[in-house]
Amino acid sequence: MRRLFIFLGFVASILAVILSVTPLSKIAYIPVVFALIFGLIAFYLSRQKQYPKKSIQLIFLLTIIALTITTYKAVFNIVEVGDVESLELKEKESEEKAIEELENLDMEKIDQDLDEMPEFNGNNSNP
Amino acid sequence: MRYIISFIMILITLVVNGQNTAIGTNEKLTFSASYNMSGLLTEIAQVTMETSEIKTSNATLLKLKCSAATYSSFDAYFKIRDLYESYVSPTSLTPYLYKRDINEGAYYKFEQYKYNRKANSISSTMKKRDSEENKTVNIGPNTRDIVSTIYHIRNLDISKASPGDSENFTFLFDNEELIINVKYLRKETINTNLGKKECYKLAVSLKNDDSLKGNNENLLWLTADDNKIPVYAKFKIAVGSGELKLKSVTGLKN
Repeated sequence: MRRLFIFLGFVASILAVILSVTPLSKIAYIPVVFALIFGLIAFYLSRQKQYPKKSIQLIFLLTIIALTITTYKAVFNIVEVGDVESLELKEKESEEKAIEELENLDMEKIDQDLDEMPEFNGNNSNP
Repeated sequence: MRYIISFIMILITLVVNGQNTAIGTNEKLTFSASYNMSGLLTEIAQVTMETSEIKTSNATLLKLKCSAATYSSFDAYFKIRDLYESYVSPTSLTPYLYKRDINEGAYYKFEQYKYNRKANSISSTMKKRDSEENKTVNIGPNTRDIVSTIYHIRNLDISKASPGDSENFTFLFDNEELIINVKYLRKETINTNLGKKECYKLAVSLKNDDSLKGNNENLLWLTADDNKIPVYAKFKIAVGSGELKLKSVTGLKN
């Protein structure tokens, strides 16, 4: 039983460390909680039977590392958009092409669109 | 004489109601998209909705642009740079040209619909990294694209709706006509980046597609004013759930 909880504790703490360095670091809180629970149970069982506790200390160490990284990222990381230059350039090109495509558009037809009445009348009909 | 006056009154009513009353010409709404995993929200991307005026030699149109870009921390893992554009009539928001350019990780797709309103059809162009497809697709007289449908919903006169009222809108996505159902639930006051706002709470569902999961779990909050700003949205899809929160807004019409 003690070995099972040490194994589960290791799995959870390693998973927590891996998740804490990814952008989805907030999810690392979940394995952190499990690692602490498994670690505490393993610690309790080891103390009852006077077994060595080195491996359990390692579980706690990994969990604390994961918790520190995740909390640091949650507090200090600023969310900012990366490189959008290519997107802006693409948008500009797209607009130029769109104007060319729309050159032969019938303006009168656009004006006739005025007779459409957008109203949320709940009669399940299209606009 | 009485009939002539009545006719003029009806005509004025139609024209006034048909006009775009909610969407400004230089409006910019910035949202933050978050992914929800076991109640923990992680901000993954920035979504912007922008409008601008476009002039051709014989017409003035409104360009509706929606773009999505992942935050820099996600770029190394899964970079998203999506661009959706719809060129619409500034008065009725009827679309004339639609473009969709999506870059998601290694996946690329370009789509263009050029509307032929007289023939109720579109000339569709679809490009992927290794293929290109051109075809004509027949559509209904009221079919729009996804971008103009979003703006059209904003332009609806919801003040006259009663809780429980719903309406269907047809839009084209991947050359397929999908029906979106928008149901007005009730008015609700929520905290937003613009302060405490009274909003129209709408439930959105797709009738002939199962991309959106759950019953009344895809929700949209529009401010209960003339601008009908989408301040908050919640969605549930196959891979999880998430939300969109308004971060900033500029260039409102009203």
